[in-house]
Parts: sequence; C-alpha cells; structure tokens
Amino acid sequence: MAGWRGSRGGGDGTPSDDRIASSQTVRLGKVQPQAPGHRTVFCNDREANSLAKYKIMGVVNLFMGKRKIRYIHSEVNHIESQMIAWVHDIEVVASWSGDSLQWLLLWIVGLKGALRYHLLGFLLWLRTSEGNSVSTTKYDVFTFLPKGLFEQFRRVANLYFLMISILSCTPVSPVSPITNVLPLSLVLLVSLVKEAWEDWKRFQNDMSINNSNVEVLQDWNWVPTPWKKLQVGDIIRVNQDGFFPADLMFLASTNPDGVCYVETANLDGETNLKIRKAPERTWDFVSPDKVSEFKGEVQCEQPNNSLYTFTGNLIIDKQILPLSPNQLLLRGCSLRNTEYIVGAVIFTGHETKVMMNSMKIPSKRSTLEKKLDKLILALFTVLFCMCLLGSIGSGVFINSKYHYLRFDTSEAQFDPDHRFVVAILTFFTLITLYSPIIPISLYVSVEMIKFIQSTQFINNDLRMYHAESNTPALARTSNLNEELGQVEYIFSDKTGTLTRNLMEFFKCSIGGEVYGTGVSETEIGAAQRTGVKVDAQKRSSAASERGFNFDDARLMRGAWRNEPNPDCCKEFFRCLAICHTVLPEGDESPERIRYQAASPDEAALVVAAKNFGFFFYRRTPTMIYVRESHVDKMGKVQDVPYEILNVLEFNSTRKRQSVVCRYPDGRLVLYCKGADTVIYERLVDGNPDLKRMSREHLEQFGASGLRTLCLAYKNLKPDVYESWNEKYIHAKSALRDREKKLDEVSGHQYSQPNIKKFQVAEQIEKDLILIGCTAIEDKLQEGVPACIETLSRAGIKIWVLTGDKMETAINIAYGSEVACKLINNGMKQFVISSETEAIREVEDKACHTSRRCFSHLGDQIELARYMKELVKNELKSCHEEAQKFLHMDSAPKLALIIDGKCLMYALDPSLRGMLLNFSLNCTAVVCCRVSPLQKAQVTSLVKKGANKITLSIGDGANDVSMIQAAHVGVGISGQEGMQAVMASDFAIAQFRFLTDLLLVHGRWSYHRICKVVTYFFYKNLTFTLTQFWFTFETGFSGQRLYDDWFQSLYNVIFTALPVIIIGLFDKDVSANLSKKYPELYKEGIRNAFFKWRVVATWAFFAIYQSLVLYYFVVASSKRAINSSGKLFGLWDVSTMAFTCVIVTVNLRLLMMCNTLTRWHHISVGGSILFWFIFVFIYSGVALPNKEQENIYFVIYVLMSTIYFYLTLILVPVAALFCDFLYMGVQRWFFPYDYQIVQEIHRHEADTSRIGLLEVGQSQLTPDEVRSYAIMQLPGEKSRHTGFAFDSPGYESFFASQAGVFVPQKAWDVARRASMRSKPKTPRTPRTPRTPQRN
Amino acid sequence: MSSDDGSSKKVSRKPRYSRFTQQELPACKPILTPALVIGILMCLGIISIPIGLLALSASKNVVEVVDRYDDVCIPSTDQKVGFIKDPATNKTCIRTFTIPKKMRKPVYVYYQLDNFYQNHRRYVKSRSDRQLWNPKAESSTTVCDPEGQTGDGKPIVPCGLIAWSLFNDTYMLSKNDAALQINKKDIAWRSDRTHKFSSNIYPKNFQNGTLIGGGKLDESIPLSQQEDLMVWMRTSALPTFRKLYGKIETDLEANEKITVTIQNNYNTYSFNGKKKLVISTATWIGGKNDFIGKMYMAVGGTSIVLGVIFSLLYVFKPRPLGDPSYLSWNKSPTLD
Repeated sequence: MAGWRGSRGGGDGTPSDDRIASSQTVRLGKVQPQAPGHRTVFCNDREANSLAKYKIMGVVNLFMGKRKIRYIHSEVNHIESQMIAWVHDIEVVASWSGDSLQWLLLWIVGLKGALRYHLLGFLLWLRTSEGNSVSTTKYDVFTFLPKGLFEQFRRVANLYFLMISILSCTPVSPVSPITNVLPLSLVLLVSLVKEAWEDWKRFQNDMSINNSNVEVLQDWNWVPTPWKKLQVGDIIRVNQDGFFPADLMFLASTNPDGVCYVETANLDGETNLKIRKAPERTWDFVSPDKVSEFKGEVQCEQPNNSLYTFTGNLIIDKQILPLSPNQLLLRGCSLRNTEYIVGAVIFTGHETKVMMNSMKIPSKRSTLEKKLDKLILALFTVLFCMCLLGSIGSGVFINSKYHYLRFDTSEAQFDPDHRFVVAILTFFTLITLYSPIIPISLYVSVEMIKFIQSTQFINNDLRMYHAESNTPALARTSNLNEELGQVEYIFSDKTGTLTRNLMEFFKCSIGGEVYGTGVSETEIGAAQRTGVKVDAQKRSSAASERGFNFDDARLMRGAWRNEPNPDCCKEFFRCLAICHTVLPEGDESPERIRYQAASPDEAALVVAAKNFGFFFYRRTPTMIYVRESHVDKMGKVQDVPYEILNVLEFNSTRKRQSVVCRYPDGRLVLYCKGADTVIYERLVDGNPDLKRMSREHLEQFGASGLRTLCLAYKNLKPDVYESWNEKYIHAKSALRDREKKLDEVSGHQYSQPNIKKFQVAEQIEKDLILIGCTAIEDKLQEGVPACIETLSRAGIKIWVLTGDKMETAINIAYGSEVACKLINNGMKQFVISSETEAIREVEDKACHTSRRCFSHLGDQIELARYMKELVKNELKSCHEEAQKFLHMDSAPKLALIIDGKCLMYALDPSLRGMLLNFSLNCTAVVCCRVSPLQKAQVTSLVKKGANKITLSIGDGANDVSMIQAAHVGVGISGQEGMQAVMASDFAIAQFRFLTDLLLVHGRWSYHRICKVVTYFFYKNLTFTLTQFWFTFETGFSGQRLYDDWFQSLYNVIFTALPVIIIGLFDKDVSANLSKKYPELYKEGIRNAFFKWRVVATWAFFAIYQSLVLYYFVVASSKRAINSSGKLFGLWDVSTMAFTCVIVTVNLRLLMMCNTLTRWHHISVGGSILFWFIFVFIYSGVALPNKEQENIYFVIYVLMSTIYFYLTLILVPVAALFCDFLYMGVQRWFFPYDYQIVQEIHRHEADTSRIGLLEVGQSQLTPDEVRSYAIMQLPGEKSRHTGFAFDSPGYESFFASQAGVFVPQKAWDVARRASMRSKPKTPRTPRTPRTPQRN
Repeated sequence: MSSDDGSSKKVSRKPRYSRFTQQELPACKPILTPALVIGILMCLGIISIPIGLLALSASKNVVEVVDRYDDVCIPSTDQKVGFIKDPATNKTCIRTFTIPKKMRKPVYVYYQLDNFYQNHRRYVKSRSDRQLWNPKAESSTTVCDPEGQTGDGKPIVPCGLIAWSLFNDTYMLSKNDAALQINKKDIAWRSDRTHKFSSNIYPKNFQNGTLIGGGKLDESIPLSQQEDLMVWMRTSALPTFRKLYGKIETDLEANEKITVTIQNNYNTYSFNGKKKLVISTATWIGGKNDFIGKMYMAVGGTSIVLGVIFSLLYVFKPRPLGDPSYLSWNKSPTLD
C-alpha cells in the first residue's frame, strides 16, 4: 500500500499535510479546484455537487477568465502527474480498469489545448452522468450485434469459417455459399442466443435494482425515490434489513451511541454482524427537520476498490471530523438490528466500492481444451497439405487437349497458359471444399455438454449435497469439468478444509501450569499409531457447549482460587473476556447468549471465559460488561464495566490483538493475545522460567494438533498512555497516507517484505507480561482420512499448505486411523525448518540489534543470506538422499515438511528448481507457516514448473490466491466465509466430496469430452477425406462430391445430436465403482484418452473408412445397377456415398459407447432417420427456381434398386470392420483398467441408486447428530480473521511488497451485491450463477 | 438476532432426485467380450457369404461383350485428331464380334468412354436445369458459360458444355445381315423425362457456333424425348463411364456373329480417350458387377477366418474375464 500511495503522493508534488488546508480555500462561485487525489462531496446540496461535477465542462464551454483556465491547467497537470504514478503501478491501473484506461487514452493522445479539455470534460461527463444506476450487462441493444459477433469471432474456428464463407461467395468456390454460411450462422445463432439470454437476465436484474426505492430527504420529507435517481450528496434513510443503495457516509442511527449493525454477506460472504459508528457530531440527525439543516462537506479519497480502507474528513462549520471505514456503509451490505439509519451518499453507481471490485473472473481454460487447439492446428496443417497437393495436381492436369472442357483464357482458373495461377486459385477452391475438416460445431457442442454437465450433474448431485449445512455442490464455471479428471496435485488448506473449523477451547497453560484433561483427536491418532489404546469415550462427555470442550476441576467453579497462581488465572480469564471483538447477542444470561465473532477461535475463547466465571454479556462502543464470579471471594458475583479505550485490531501481519481498557477503579491495562512468536518478542525481560515452561507447553499443544495463542498483559501509566493516545489519534485522522503517517509515528522501517511496518501500536505493545497460553482444537472433518487415502490411491498427490505450526501440521498429516493418512511411519521424512538452534541464534542477534538501535538492516541482510545458504544446503542434502532412495528397489515413500520461512528462501529462483525436483519425488508435502502468497507460489511452482495439473482447495480468504493460481480452484462452501468460494471454480461443502467431484464427475467428464473431441475429429476427417479422394478423379478441379445442403447439414444436423448424448450419458463404470477403484483415475492423469497416439489411431481409421466409403461406392456403381440397364450419375453416386457416411459415422458412435440408454438409440436412429426424411423431401420437391436440380429424385431412383440396399449394408460393415477388430483386440489383449473393472462387475446391477436414496434420510450417528445440531446453531458461521493468516485483502499487499503480481481477487462482489435477495431469506448465502435457486 | 428465523425458514437446497441429474438412466452396458467378438465375426461371415454368393452368381449370369473401336476405326495413326475433326471424311467403321453365350432380351447397348472428365467442375456446372424445364427461363444461360449464347447473343437451348459435347457416335447392329432394331426409348431415368426435360422446349441455336463439340439435336423433337441427351447429361461420377445407347428387344444366341456399323464421329483422340461398345444383359443386380459380391465374400471370409483364429486363441490362451491381475496397478505396483 505504502508503495503506490507514496508514489501518488510524490506525483502530486504537494505534501500531504497541506491537503486539509487547501480544501478550505475560498470558493470561486462554487467552482472549486480540488486536487485529484481526493474529492469533495457537498452533503445535502444537489446543486453544489452537480456544479462541482460539471465544472470542467462549464469552464471549457465558457472558456473565459484566465484564472479558471489556470485551474483547469493545474487540474489536468495533476491528473497527468497522477497518471504517471499510476502507470508505474500496474495493479492500480488494473483496478481502475475502465476509468483509468479512459484517462490513459486521453493522456496518450496528448493533445494540447482545448481539445484535451473537451475530451476531459466529455469523459468526466460520461463518468458522472450515470448517477446511481448500475449496469452489469455486457451489451445493450445497439452494441449487442457488433460486440457479440466480435466476441464470437475471437474464436479461431469461427473466424476461419467466416473467411471460408466469404471465400465461398467468390467464383473460386466449388460450393454455394450456403454450405459454409449455414453452419456458421447456426453456430453463431446458438451462441448469440445464449449470450442474449444471459445478458437479458442480467439486465432485468439491474433494472429491478435500479428501480427499487429508497427514502431520500427532499424538502424536509423522506420521499421514496428509485435507487438510480440517487446523487452524490443526497441524504437518505435506510430501514432495517434494507440494502444500502450506494456507498454512504453514516450520519445517524436510531440506536443509542450512533451505532448500527451491518451484514456484509453480499460483499465478502461473512454473515456475522459488523458495527459501524457515526461521527458523534452527527448522532442526532435522525429526524428530517434536523437533517435538513445539515450542511457539510466530505473530503475523501477518489473511488477505489479497496473494501477495507477509506479515508476522508467531514467538514462541518470548519470543523474537521476524520472518517474511517467505520463510518462508511457500503453498497451491497444490509442493515440489521437497527430501525433505520441516515446517511449521505458519497459514491454512487459504478463508483461504489463494490462495483469497483467487480471484475471478470479470470477465465481458466482446461488443459484438454488447450490441447484441442493444437489438434485444430494439426488439422489446419493437414488441410493445407491436402490443398497443396490438389492445387499442384490441378496445375499439372490443366491442358487444352480436353476440348470438351474448353479451357481457355476467359476464366483465370481454367487458363491452361497460366498453370501457376490455376494452382493458386484451385488452392482456395479446395480450402472451401475441404472446410468441414475443421469441426465448426465442436466448440459449441463441447460448451453445451460441459454446461449441462456442470449445471445438471455436478450441481444436482445428491452425493455431494451436505445436509447439515444445506449446501449442494456448485460448479461456478463449466470450463473445467474435464480438468477435474486429470488432477495430479492437490494443494489443500488445513483449517476449515481438512478440519471442521469448529474451534473448541481444549487446554490452557496458566502461569506455567497445564490445565485440561482432554485427549485430542490427533493424540488418539498418535497413540493408536504407537499401539496404545485410548478411551475416546471420555472426551465426548465433556463437550458441554459449542466451542468449549474443556474439563479440569482445578479451574472450574472458582476452584482456580486455590491454584498456585490465582492472580495469574484472574488475569488470564479477564484477558479472555475483554480482549476480543466479539458481539453478544440475545438474552444477557449465560445460557442463552450468543456470540457474534469474526473468527470461531475468538468465540471459543469468550465462551471459555464465560465457563470460567467471567461472563461477557454486553458491549457498547466504549464499554465491555463482564459478570465476574468468585473474584473477591467464592460465590460472589458482580457486574464489572470496563471502559475500552483502544482496540488495536488483529491482522495477519501483526498476528496479535490488543485492547487498552480502564478498570472501574481507574487502573489502565493493555491486554494482548496473539501468536507465540510475536508475543514472545514483546515480553518484558525476566521470569525466564515461566517463558520456558510456557514455550514447552506451546510445543506440547502444537504436537497434539492444537491451535495456540499466547496471552499477555501490561499495566499502563496514565501519562504514558495519554501521550501515546494523542499520537495514535493524530495518525488515525490523517486524510491520506494514513498508514504512512502511522509509520512516521512509530519511526520504524523494515525492509524485509514479510515484516510489515510497525505501526503506532508497536510503541505500546511492548514489555508485556506473559500470562499463559490457550489451546484450541480444530477437529478433522468427517471422512477426510478416507478421502485422502482414496485420492492418493488415485495417484493424486496431496500437499498441505497451512498457516499452522509445524508440529500441528505434521500431526494432522500423520497417518493413522483418525488423522489424515498423509504421512505414515513407513515414510522417510525430510524436515526443513527454520526453528533450529542455529537459525534462532542468528535471528535473535538480528532481532536484538534491530530493536535496540534501529540499524538492523545489515543484520537482516546477513540473516537472509545465512538462511538462504542453509536452506540450499538442506535442500541439496535432501535431494541427494532422495536420489539414493529412488534408485533402491524397495524404497520408502518420501515426505517433505518445510516451513514458511525456509520456503521463502527455497522459492528463490536459484533454488526453485531443486525444490521442485525434490518435492515431486515426495508422496507427501506439508508446508506450514506459509502466507497466502506462498501458497499461491507453491501452487504455481508445480503448475508451471512441473507442468502438472493442480487443484487447490481452501475455505478462507487466505486461500483465495492459491485457488486462483491453480488449474482448478475448489472452495469449501456452506459453513464459511464466501471469499474462497467466490474465487473458486467449484464449491463443495465438505472435503470428502472431493472424491465424488474428482473420481466421479471429473473422470466421467474427462472420458466424455475425450470421446466427443476425438469423435468430432474422426467424423469430420472421414467426411472430408471422401471428398479428397474424389478430387483425384475430377482432374483436381475441386468438384464437390456432395450436394451443398448435405455438406452444410452434415455437422449441424445429421451428426450433431448423438455426440452430445455421448457427452452427457456415457459412463464407463458406475459412480460407486469409480470410487471403489480410485486407481481408474490414473488414466486421466496419464491423459490416456487424448494422447497423440489416440488421435493418430482415430486418424488412421478415419482414412481407412473414408477409402472404403468412397471407393466401394464408386467401384460398385460403375455398371448398370438394375435390370433396366440404366446407370447412375454423379449425384446418385454421391447420395449413395453420403448415406453410407451418415450411417457409418453414426454406427461408429454407437460402437464407442460404454452404456446405451434410450437416448443413444433415439439420437442415433433419429439422425439417420432424419437424413432420410430430409433427402426424401429435398429431392422430392422440385423448387421452381432452383438453378441446379442435381439431386432431384435421386433418392427415389436409388431406393428403387436392390443395389442400394446391398451397398448400404456392405459399406458400413466393411468400413467398421477394422474398427471392430481393433476394439476387440484392444480389449482382449491390451485392456484398459476401466474395461477390466467393467468385466469384474458385469453381472452386477447398478446398485448405487438404492444407496443414494438413503442419503439424508438414514439414521445419523450420534456424532453426526451433534455436528448437525451445531451446524444449525446460528452465528459463528464465518471466519474473518482467524489466527492463521486469515485476513482478506492482505495477499495482494504481500504480493506488491514482494514485487510479485497476484491477480486481483475475483470476488465477483458486484454481481452478488446486485443480486436481489428476497426479504424472506435474507441470510441465505447467495451465489451469482444460480439466482433462480432463491 | 434474526438469524435464527432465517435458518429455520431457509428452504432446503437439496437437489431433487431425478435419474437424469443423478446420471442413473437405465442403460444397457454391452461389453465386447472375446466370446462376443467371435460370435459377431461368425455371424457376419454366415450372413455375408450367402449374400456374396448370390450377388456373384447374378453377376456371372450377365453376358457382356466389350469392343474397343477407337483405335481400329481410324485410318492413320498420326493424323487421328485431324481425321476426326474433318467433317468431310467418311467415318464409317464396321466391327464384328461373336456372342459368347446366349443373351436374353432385353440386351443393352452401351458406349464406354475413358479419360473423359464428365465430373470436372467446369463441366458439371455448365448446364441450366431451369432452362431445360421452364419455358420461360430460356435465357437463363449465365451458368452455362462458355456455351450459353451464340455469337449474336441468342440463348442456346440446351446450353452449356455438357450438352454441347453430346456424344455422337452411332451404332447400327445387324445379325446375319439382318438389322437389329435398337430401341432408344426408355433409356433415361423416368424422372428425367417427366421432371427435368420439358416437353414444351425444343432445341434452339444448338451447335451453331464455330466450334462443334459433338452431336446435334433434331430441333423438332422436344427435350423430353431427346433421351440420348438426357443420358449424356446425367453426368458420370468417374472419368471412365458407360452410358446406355439403346436396347435390343430380341434374344441373341450364342456364337452368333454381330456386325456393328459405327459412325466414328466423336473426338476422344485429342486426349487419348478410349471408346468402347458394350453389349450386355442385366439381372437384378444390374450389369456385370463382381465387386459387390466379391466384397461380401471378402468380408464374410475374413470374418470366418478371424473368428476361427480368435476361437483357437480363446481356447489355448484365454483371458479370463475381469481378471484383476490385468489391472495396471496390480501388474506393476513398483511403477507408481
């Protein structure tokens, strides 16, 4: 952030401190120049705003007064300089997309003088005239045809056919234009209708949103006004459960303390409520009378797409009030628990943050499709060769001796004196003739098939429906179905993906003493690994409440008073009860209260505090109320209000959260909780025993697979606090470059990319006193171990990328009955860790100097060099060892465990290759302590470096970049925030559904698409080759063998439907068998069905068949064909041949089917039947004006002969004879795995159906009942800032810091925000692709 | 909080069961087992061979006499083209041949041309079907270039290269000095007579130009009765083709001598095209056509042979169906 902000600030050439002052300059007739870095909104003053908007227009039109022009000059210069800054930063330009491109265009044109102003004004007018109406459509009435067609012709096949169609209108063409125009227009029509339909739905959606009403203040009244009429500066009122129509500045609410609650589900999918607070000065602007008097000016940043930042000032009566994201109500969010709020519109329409965030999901193309492009290219080459051959032939053939052909100079193509010209023209002739070799309908058919596959099959699969969270699977894109059948590497997040993200307070360590008697799932697993039996029953009885699975009599019911360290316990519990951002909901009684927390960890901690007797029951913006028991003496209960002075919030770089609170007795305390690494750095010197003990406990907890947090506190002196608070507030209210200022206050600069700049908070979060640590258990999801085992049997390698500690990660990954079967004892483990003594020492040294004298830079570089060297050596030795193992016969499987810090160095370009080589030899890889960016880097390392097909699965915002980096991104939906889902290609509710998604749907899709593609290839090649053979016997003239209509309908009618049917229904083995024999999946990984060898086989048979089809028909019809002695002409023969082709090609399709449903019969029979019906009508009706009656009556002539029937049987049989033999021999001697499985189960009926009906209805196990009940509980469905780097919006920051381009989050928030939700089900997480579901 | 109500009101998003969406449509799953392969091959053989035998025997019953005359009916060897182009020379040529077997009526007389590209693109498209059928479309001759109009712009009927190059050799057959009547009726397909060549259209301006391509037409006979033209204009698929010349409505006995008086008018000498006269009978399968029968025999024979070989293989080296040891991961566990 600091990067581009800095450059922008520099570009302006004005120090940021002047900003506020400059905006207070005297207005020039309301036309006020403003620095482009921010904008001014006049609240409740439409005229002023519109004038401000159109000021440049006005000035340009008037063109008078030097002063004004000078202002314009400065404006333009500002913009230019700003743009220079923007250009430097690609990310910014990209995020500004449309707008900035307009600006950029203007700048590049570089016109001096009036024209530029005109343009500028015009663009400004364009931008501002939209108001609050929003359009998400791709096209409008006028642009639909040109734009839609343009989109279509970007596809090479379509463009090719367009060119062929144009070519076929010239005399060079042997076929009438209809031959090529008709299929092309059919294909285009289908595509355009689809586009139009989708866009129409979007348009209707937009319209209903733009026309929904909101109450706007007009003449001391609230007047319902459509959303689209809203303008910047309007004062509006939003009622409970209503959606905010634009980005609003929060002025007042009916709640006391000027707070309101918003739900941001449409924005980021989080269903927990967030508090927004109005500036105190405006709290009472609730009634129309009061608000009408309000005249204020808002100065804020230009519209941008950052959902989590906002800086601005509200100026009322020359008083400046700072505005932060806390005062901003974003469009798309909805109001909860508040009767109504009053706000001022700041950004409208496309300038709202949610709309600025809307961008196209970067469309992924499947690997198979890319290979298909190569196949098409190969076909082009074949086409070229065929045409070349033919054209050379024509040049040789042409000769005036054929007097009946009358070759003369009148027509260039038949001029025997210019053979070269003849050859060139014939080349084009032949291209048009052979054009069907490129299957034009292939792309449309495949698209259609995939669309049905994803919308009908994947989305509706009952096996992937999760009853507990009421979530079916969702294919968010239909491009990647077959890619699912070829995945070789899975990158999985741990928390929430492998585990349930159902956090339970499990153990704790207070003052060097461990409490908690439970045995974690991982421990049970570990115990079973070593052969010890553990009584697992014990633990389930202790699970009294969600989030609390703790049992230790020493702490419960006030017993902690008798512990060795009661004060420590007290602080521990208070820290749990105070230091958080949880919202209580419902009754203020311990039994009925519910906690709204950003992360389940937080809620678990608060619940724990409640159970320990520190019941947090109420929160106001300034106070936290805790009902404390047993504090003064046993049994005494008292309500204690704590004043919250500051909340230093959690984020993934700080990895800690602090609260400054004032006790009722005036004592000032800072409570802090966070990751052990950051807390330990900030502890006060002394008490080494406690530190050592706690560290041991931390490691112990980690080894048990628990998530740990350290708690610490610090007593503050009032004067120290006051001076710090002043700086803090000052830094907070800076209009721009707030972060930078916060840095200045802190005075720290770190160069290392992963260490974020210390902020003001740093100054106070030091010299802390350690209290203890907590351990939270995150349970494994149901069926995960089995799923992982199945997947690894399927030849898929699973890498776990987690932010957790190494011990936790290893334990989760360790193979046993309970935990994941990723690593087992038989494996050779390689651990590359930064937690070694040697590294710690160097680190400590570096850290020490850095904290003392701020000149740590050299040490940091030293450390980096040291680490890199170390990692390099480590990798090298591992690699060598692995190589040794590889050459052994009974080598153990290898496993690599690496932590984030080492990974950072290992991902260095110089070491990357080694890392890749080594890790590809490993069966299991676990990366712990990795940042979101590293997750993405590891993913693309394998994707690009090893060229393997990768799949990433995750549930949280920290997985977004990884999901986007992989070939296939899968999000866990149903229980979590929606960010991962929004970025994903497929969303499933549970990790275990991955087996169904990959082994069943993926495998089937792969099989089907392969069949469809190869079949398309075959049928078009066969058809075209018959033409090709004919060319040799026509003197290379390019005479067509088939009638125009036959040729044009061949692809789109006569052979179109069966192939779609096979793409939908073909099934080699049933779903159950697919999962029973996961090894079948390896055929997909090996790409066994779309290799060049497979294509070559098909090509061979296509050539053979075309030869049979052509020569058999031609040779057999040389003589009289019935007893009347009459003979066939060209068109009789061609119709005969075409009939044979249709029959053969359709029968070939039947031969390649694994299953034959009635749809197969209907479509194949129908296609053949349709051909006959067509030809009966077509050749039976004499069109009065048809120029050439080639085909007239031909089929009747044909069918009157016995010859016709004899040939019709002979030719397809002879043509398919070799295919049949090949299939038989292949199956007999070189069977595919799936064929063996088919044979094993050939007598079994498909029983999967019976099993399926039981899903969701069968009796649940007690464990399932419990988890079901928990799922039904409200709240805590989302995790915003879990403790494992789960912070949205940070990955791109990391990326920019590291100089790596990370694609923007494609949350598609705009689309979701513009989804209309029916008021009945406001909580249903909505997905843009399936609005009809609601 | 309202979330409680929200979740209870939430409609189930459970997909509805249907055989289609769950991909459980009833289907038969044919497996191409070795037994099935052998069975199909055998069946194929058993069905194909009789058909082949039938077709072959029908073809064998056809009696066909072929006589190439283009090389004989020309006096000198070096002036062929000049000879044929000279309208003044006498091109009569007499050929005799013996009937090898009894030929039952009707006996068909064909001419066969070699190396004659009736399927050349320039040739095929040079005709106007509209003109042939629709009296009003007499002048729609643009597609007929370069034989659309006469030099002075009058439409040629029938126009185009095909008609222009009409075959014009004539044959007079006689048996024992008695002329054999050649019936030239009903030699074209009926659909041509009734729907392609109109009875109201008469040849006009035909072969009037400087270049004479072939035969002339009697301008008093409507097109629907010009069956020679119809036969000629049903262009052939290959450069070697036969066309029906006429029928002889009497039986020809074996060893009878047939004398043919040929008017050798048609120029195939410039492009080395052969001309042959063919006298043939026809059965249900048509003329002499061994190809279909042979191919049926070949397919059937191969099937039987392969079926036997496969059966032997099946007996001696069987692959048990569904043997898990054939699964790739069972075969080579060390590979993965």
